[in-house]
Amino acid sequence: MTAVESVPPAGERSADRWSRWSDHLNPILVREVQQAIKGRVFPLTILIALAISVVIAAVVSEEYSFGGTGRNAFRAGFATLIPLVLFVVPMQAYNSMRTELKGGIVEQLLLTRLSPSRVLSGKLQAAMVQFVLYVSILSPLLATSYLLRGVDVVTIGLSLLMALILCVTATALAVSSAAQGVVPALQPIANLGTAFGLGIGTFGMISAVVSGGFEAMLGALVRSGSFSAVVSAVLLLALLSTALSWLAARSFLLHAFENRSSAFRVLLFVLPVLAYGWLLAFVEPRHRDGAFPILTFGLLLVSIVFGVFMVTEQGRMSPRVDAHVPKAGWRALLLAPLLPGRDRGALCLLLFHVLLVAIAVAFWPLASVRRWHPAAVLPRVGAMTMAYVWVYLGLLRWLRARLPENVRGSQAARVLLPAMLFLFCVAPLLVDAIVRGGPDEWHLGHVMNPFWTIAEFAGQDKTELFPTVYAVIGLALLPQLPAFVRGLREVSAASRRNRSRAGPKPTSASDDA
Amino acid sequence: METALLEVRNLDRRYGNVHAVRDLSFTMQRGQITGFVGPNGAGKTTTMRIAATLDVPDGGDVTVNGVSVLVEPRLARRQIGYMADQFHPYPGLDVVQYLDFFARASGLRGSERRRTVRKVAAFCGLDSFADRPATGLSKGMGQRLHLAKTLLHDPQLLILDEPAAGLDPRARIEFRALLKELAAAGKGILISSHILPELGEMCDSVVVIEKGRRVVAGSIADIHRDNELEQAVVVRTLGDVEALERFLVVQPHVSEAVVDGARVRFAFTGDDRELADLLVRAVAAGLPIVEFARAEADLEDIFLKTTRGRLQ
Ligand SMILES: Nc1ncnc2c1ncn2[C@@H]1O[C@H](COP(=O)(O)OP(=O)(O)O)[C@@H](O)[C@H]1O
Ligand SMILES: [Mg+2]
Repeated sequence: MTAVESVPPAGERSADRWSRWSDHLNPILVREVQQAIKGRVFPLTILIALAISVVIAAVVSEEYSFGGTGRNAFRAGFATLIPLVLFVVPMQAYNSMRTELKGGIVEQLLLTRLSPSRVLSGKLQAAMVQFVLYVSILSPLLATSYLLRGVDVVTIGLSLLMALILCVTATALAVSSAAQGVVPALQPIANLGTAFGLGIGTFGMISAVVSGGFEAMLGALVRSGSFSAVVSAVLLLALLSTALSWLAARSFLLHAFENRSSAFRVLLFVLPVLAYGWLLAFVEPRHRDGAFPILTFGLLLVSIVFGVFMVTEQGRMSPRVDAHVPKAGWRALLLAPLLPGRDRGALCLLLFHVLLVAIAVAFWPLASVRRWHPAAVLPRVGAMTMAYVWVYLGLLRWLRARLPENVRGSQAARVLLPAMLFLFCVAPLLVDAIVRGGPDEWHLGHVMNPFWTIAEFAGQDKTELFPTVYAVIGLALLPQLPAFVRGLREVSAASRRNRSRAGPKPTSASDDA
Repeated sequence: METALLEVRNLDRRYGNVHAVRDLSFTMQRGQITGFVGPNGAGKTTTMRIAATLDVPDGGDVTVNGVSVLVEPRLARRQIGYMADQFHPYPGLDVVQYLDFFARASGLRGSERRRTVRKVAAFCGLDSFADRPATGLSKGMGQRLHLAKTLLHDPQLLILDEPAAGLDPRARIEFRALLKELAAAGKGILISSHILPELGEMCDSVVVIEKGRRVVAGSIADIHRDNELEQAVVVRTLGDVEALERFLVVQPHVSEAVVDGARVRFAFTGDDRELADLLVRAVAAGLPIVEFARAEADLEDIFLKTTRGRLQ
């Protein structure tokens, strides 16, 4: 491939074919492969992997015993594969992303027609190519283990699937944390965290495989009735985690005025569809009564994380977003909660909570009356959680408004939330410790401590709790109402402006490559 | 009215307390080379990065062919070739692979891609370097590769941030020749420098900024006129220098005549017509003139004259 442009006609033909064929590939993938072939790390890793698998094969065939030997071969092979796909591949992707960010190479990329999404998918594809390569290097070993009756096909297949899922999620996570490098201050933390996290994960997996615990777990899973539920759940979670890493990395690479918010907000609304869809498709009806409340509550918790980001964004729409607000007024208003800006973000979260409550009210299993059944406990816990969410996010929004209107301000605000939480939880405890010699029981001073307060009240069957909780939610929302209106007004004003400007046809429609 | 190729309008950018660009406006036409001049830290890179969609301003706008870089960054990017002040090629790729990658990234396919890569590499004189590693080039060749990469998608507007910094004189002259050829082919080029002689006489117009503010902008001739900058003229005679000087000091538009060896240097405030008349009179007066030339009126003069007194 090297001399695509300058070789004599003899070589030109094959170069031609490669060139035509590779037109369909992601340019990043093509480049990474070219670099890998020229680099040193990659051939070295392959050689080591090959050597290891030969050594294992030799050792295993030495102490031959039917069945046991096969199992050992499988464990050895899989234990070799794990560090490759769980550490080497993601770290490689991490490093290549870091290299791009250093010295502004990534800016050169972003100036081309490659969208951030294509850059990221190129990285993931390169990781997949490596995965396939490593698996094929180790496949003789895995095949041997099957032939020696050590393990069945299901176990091998499941293990490989597991390895693939882990590889994709870990790579997406690694690439995303590398893309964070746009903020240089976070870089050392990201470096360390990534290497450490991947290392721990790899180590844990290897020990599980070598000790046989992994096979045992797979076996138990296959035999149990919840096989499809668990596998589909794992797949869904991996998919979501990858999607989140993807969106995060993309938003770091996008032009500062592009819309980075809507994708996250749409994802938030996709979550219930996936969660309840999974519940209907994979969970046996007799377990649904327990699973539904837990899922609903889980969605509430997840929405908090999204919410923190949504309500700390910059306030106004960028000129670009502004210029692309739909001209039709009703469409603009309908889309408004999905458009960037923290006022609209808060509104979007509110709508999500309304949706969750509506679903909960419509489908909550009422049959179960046992005291500690999720369906009995979670309404109180959920309602209180929601109250705390709106109190804290209201405070957070108030603080955010006092920070500068730029990305730094948003980041600072996101750090403020845990700080605030810590302060409100720890300060009363300290006061207790000094004044009374130790915290013994809940009192009103701990009312801003969501954990203790919820634990204190949720267990008791106090129906009079609800009016208080509703009042708190209402009081927390009331001061935010003007902001909701403001957020909508900004959108409708932009829509009106775009409508009146509609004279010359905008050239932007075909903009999306 | 035809839209300008590049229009910078009331641009403003702060970094914390540093006001990097303040209310900067200028325009640039097609086929022109515009020098963007200012001392280090004047805000050149900041302005160029905003124009190249890599940064966003706190106020103002930049349009390329009428397309706002803030509203349609992706559309604008296709018309812009931006050459940053630093060049970091990918490790592990040779020159052609490097260009091939960026050609792919620019959406070129198949034979068109290969033709473009070959054409651009030839234009930039990279032919004989095709299979050298991209990271191992000399500064001069590296800048050519950088320029080649910038040209792949055939942009209308080139934004070059100090491309000649660190080049040796020969490489600089060759680089300048490339740019002139590009301008002749109709591309607009905005080129920055903090060292004036680097730009030499290749610019059609200049924008001088200092501390983020525009000091002057316009074609070099306009600036001379607007600032009533007198031009220096040098005359050499075979005969008596004193006689020449005596002749000159009584002529219209002439001032500050200074004898310098066999030459007389004087300031002339008239236009070219009047300068020609002056020469005719000198010859008619029997003065043996062998040299009659404008002293190189360079950017440095403009710069020094226009920024004088504002440097603090
Ligand atoms: N990322 C940045 N953060 C903080 N200050 C910056 C940043 N980039 C540029 N500056 C400041 O803005 C001013 C203009 O810088 P720059 O545009 O690079 O000038 P020039 O390219 O003309 O030398 C300088 O004072 C510089 O210190
Ligand atoms: Mg600079």
